This record gives sequence, structure tokens and C-alpha cells, in this order.
Amino acid sequence: MIRLNHVSKVYRIGGMKVFALKNASLHVREGEFVSIVGPSGSGKSTMMNIIGCLDTADEGEYFLDGQIVEEYSEKELTRIRSKKIGFIFQSFNLIGNLTAEENVELPLIYQRLSKEERKARVEDAFVKVGLSDRRTHKPCELSGGQQQRVAIARAIAARPSLFLADEPTGNLDSATGKEIMGIFRQLNEEGKTIVLITHDDGVARQAGRRIRILDGQVGGEEVCSGNQ
Amino acid sequence: MFRQSVKMAWKSISSNKMRSLLTMLGIIIGVMSLVVLVSLANGAASSVNSQISEIGSNLLTVNVKDDKGRPLKLEDISELAENGEIKEAAPVAQSSVTAASSFAEETASVYGTTGAYAEINEMELYAGRFLKGTDIENHTNAAVINAGLALEVMGRMDVVGEEVTLEGMEYQIVGVLKAKDSDTSTTENLEAYIPYTSLIRLVQDVPYEVTRFVVSASSEETMDRAQEELEERMLERFSQDEDAFSIVNQSAVMEAMENVSNTLALMLGGIAGISLLVGGIGIMNIMLVSVTERTREIGIRKAIGAGRGTIMMQFLIEALMISLMGCAIGLLFSWAALKVISAVGDSGSAYTLSMGVAWIAVAFSMGIGVIFGMYPANKAAGQKPIEALRYTG
Repeated sequence: MIRLNHVSKVYRIGGMKVFALKNASLHVREGEFVSIVGPSGSGKSTMMNIIGCLDTADEGEYFLDGQIVEEYSEKELTRIRSKKIGFIFQSFNLIGNLTAEENVELPLIYQRLSKEERKARVEDAFVKVGLSDRRTHKPCELSGGQQQRVAIARAIAARPSLFLADEPTGNLDSATGKEIMGIFRQLNEEGKTIVLITHDDGVARQAGRRIRILDGQVGGEEVCSGNQ
Repeated sequence: MFRQSVKMAWKSISSNKMRSLLTMLGIIIGVMSLVVLVSLANGAASSVNSQISEIGSNLLTVNVKDDKGRPLKLEDISELAENGEIKEAAPVAQSSVTAASSFAEETASVYGTTGAYAEINEMELYAGRFLKGTDIENHTNAAVINAGLALEVMGRMDVVGEEVTLEGMEYQIVGVLKAKDSDTSTTENLEAYIPYTSLIRLVQDVPYEVTRFVVSASSEETMDRAQEELEERMLERFSQDEDAFSIVNQSAVMEAMENVSNTLALMLGGIAGISLLVGGIGIMNIMLVSVTERTREIGIRKAIGAGRGTIMMQFLIEALMISLMGCAIGLLFSWAALKVISAVGDSGSAYTLSMGVAWIAVAFSMGIGVIFGMYPANKAAGQKPIEALRYTG
């Protein structure tokens, strides 16, 4: 499903070349739950941006569902983000002046789905994250854990083939974090592909496979038990 | 999609009420000045026009300044109308007299003329008759009074056959004119029409010679030919001296007035247009602030699948909505302002919101919304999603 072949990404800071990613290769199969773990500044966020089609690599190739991403136009990248990828961010990234429900509905509007279809999907997504009673609240009226559930619901409603989570538990206490991780595992059991990015080994261990990244290079891989 | 964009734009406008209102204020003031000023100019023009056309638009007024020893007599005037393009001709002399009855006493304008005057000026009778040839020949004490005089001096309209005292002389009222629909009877001037021959005898300052008379053409189309003919005849009479007399053409006066008022409306509209433009710049300014403020929101929207066009449309609709709402409020205020001005203004003219200007204001506001919204919307749409997401404002 995801294949990165010798991907590099370079930033220039004050005339100095800094490799955010250097010759990184990665392969994620459909239905896998993979965590990418590394300390801050290791290049894991850059990797997520490239996987999520928010950014493009300077060197190397990225295949998503067997198609090379560099060949897509901006319009097609938008379509991929809309239909294939569900983002979950560390800081939730909900839109403040929309209610939880409207936030979840937004990607469906961009997919130009009918009103009935949108309604059904929003309903379904809220049930999956267990937040049906808070649908009409604004993000600022929700706790961090609840906001993250809304964000996950937003990703679920879009029915993507790949969930990309960037430090989804980073702003949450450990108990809430565990609940959120539970939702991810459940999604994985339903056959969804999940790529989780974190600096926390404890969180990373809950994935099926752990990929280490350090200084922009992919280090070791290890298979985890997947249910701690 | 469009409906959703409208909904989103409305959400963003309503969540920043104060700011949106202040931004709209520029457009509100612009639209108000445009609509009110142009409507006032139009109203003033139409009231002047209606006053002129009340006098009659197929009317020529001749003033004789120097009779070259050959003064015009009453017979000469009636002769004028006997052939050619000139339909009617009537001498006019005016003086101010005291009109009295047992009911009241007022100062009134008295006109000495002939029966043709009523036809030239398209006067309508409420009751009785206008002056007749025999009234002129016999310089009878017959008077036709207008509705103003009837109500103010006589106290009522049905006064045909009764007597009114003009400058101490008793006159029999033979006719009463209808009240003009444009004026209310209370604001109407007090006027009496008596035979020309009687006025010469009644007051000192009116000579026997006719120095002023009015002429009507058979229709407005033949006005120019009638004027030429009249000019020819007058030149013939006054030894080809153009300065001996003057001819005033009502429709020419009206045309000139129209030109003046159109220029005035255009100028005022132009000035108001500038203030509308300033309002548009205000919209652009606030939209740019809004785009910067919402950089992160734009990033989120792009990450979850909003394309360039979608973001562009959202911001463009927002700008358009601000300007159109401002326009609607401005139109509402203009309508109210015109009502107030009409009520307070002492003249009888009512200023109405002209639909033409209203549509121009709407079109202009829409144009401003699109033009000044385009740049911020384009800026928003062009944001790179990762950079926008990284933004912390």
C-alpha cells in the first residue's frame, strides 16, 4: 500500500543543507498497524507529510496504492487526501467555529456526498468513537480526549484506506491516551491500515510493527505483540 | 457545494460580528451616499420638471421689450392664432391685489388675459366657465378663481355666481379651477383670472399695450416650426430688431434643466462611488487579516480534502456576502433617509428611492466584493497545506 524508495528531503537553513530524511525506505502493507518512532527532529513528521501527500520528496520515489505520487497534480493530490487518507493530528486541528458534528461532516462536503449519505456517515463515525452525546458542542467545550475523538471521527467518516496519526496521544493524559489507542486498534481490526507517528515507545509498542527513525534514516524494525 | 460555502461564509461573518459590521459600514455609507444623493438630485429635477410641464410644454412665452412705436394690441394677438402652426395666443399681464369676501381677505395674484389662456395652459374647471370673448370686449367684472383662492378667501369651492372683491371692485365669479393634484389646496397660490381689458382698468401698472403673451403650438412636435413662424412675424413687426422681443421655449428650458440635473446626479454619483470604493478596500483589508488569522484553518481544510477552488470560493463568497449585506443595509437606510427628508422638507416634492440607482448600487457592491475579495481569496487558496498547518498565530 505504501512504499518509500530511498526518499530524501532537504531543507536549507541559512545556506546549510539539512537532511530531514536521508535515503529512507519503507513498506507498509494493506491492513497493517505500523508505528514510526523516533525522537523529535528525527524526521518522522517529514515522513508523515510525504506519506500524507502534504509534501513531496526531493529525491526517491513514493508509491501509494502502486501509483507514484510525484506524478500527481495538485488537484489529484487534493483528491487523494480527500478520499484515501485520514489525518489525526497531535493538536486535534478541529475548526473552532464549527460544532463537532460540522467538523466531522466537513471532509464529506469536500467529497461532494449527498446530504443523506453525510448524515448517515457522521452518525456512524460518532458511534465508533463513542461520542454521540457531544455532537453539537464546539471544540472549545470539549476535553482534549473528546476533541481527539471528534478528530478521529472526522477521519473515519471520510472512509479512507489509510489513517495517518501524528502523535495522537501527545497532548493527552495516559488514561485518555489509552482509550484513543483502543480506537485505533479497533479500526485496525476492521482492516484499516494505520500509520502512527510517535516519540513514545510505550505508545509505539501497541502497533503491530515498529519502525525506528533517527536523523532522517530508517533504523531497525521490530514486530510487537500489538496489545499492551 | 455552493450552499455549503455560503453557510461557511455566514458562519465566519457571524462569529466576528463587530468586525464584520465595521467592514460593512464602509459599504453601507458608500451605498447610502450613492443612493440618497442621486435620488435627491433626481427628485429635485423631477419636481422642477413637473412645475415646468404644469405650465405647459408646448408653450412659447413672448416678452416685448421695445415696441418701436408699434405696440401690440389685443386684436394683433388674436390675429396671430388665425393661421399657421400657432394654435392659440393669449396676452398675459399680472398684478398683485387684495382679494376679499365676507369670509376672509388675502393678497392674491390677478392675471389679465383672454379665454385662449385656459386652453394654452390646459387649465381644468371645477365648476362654471372660463373667460369669453364678450367678457374681453365689454371688460366685464367677471373672474375665474383657482381652488386656492376659493378655499382661502371664499371658504369653499362651490362659489360660482358669488361676488369677490378685487382691489375694492366687485367681481362676479364665473368659474372655479380644479385643484392641481400635485399640490394640496393649502399650499396652492391664490390666483384670479379676469379679462385683460378689466385688469387695465383695475390697476395702474398694466398698460393697454400687450407686452407679454403666450402662444401654443398645435402639438409638441410642431413647436419648432411654430417658434420659427412666431419669430418671423415678430421680426416683421418690430423692424427686424432681434433685441426688441424675446421668445422663451418651455421645452428648451426643460431640456436645459434636465441636462443640469443629469450632470449633477452623475457628479454626486461619482463622489459616492469613491466612498464605495474605499469601502471595498476596507473589505480587502479585513479579508487579508482574516486569511492570515485562519491560515491554520485553511491548512486543516486542505489536509482533509478541500481543493484550491473550494477555499477560493469560500473566501470569495465571504467577501461578496459582506459587501452585499452592506449594500442591503445601505439601501434600507437610504429608503428611511429619503422618507425622513421628504417628510421634513417643506417643498411638496417627495423623494423616492429610484430603482435604477438601487440596482446600480447592488451591481457596484457585487463588483467590489468580487474584485476586492479576489486577492485575499487567491492568497488563501494558494497556501501550502503543511506550511499552513505549521502556522501558529
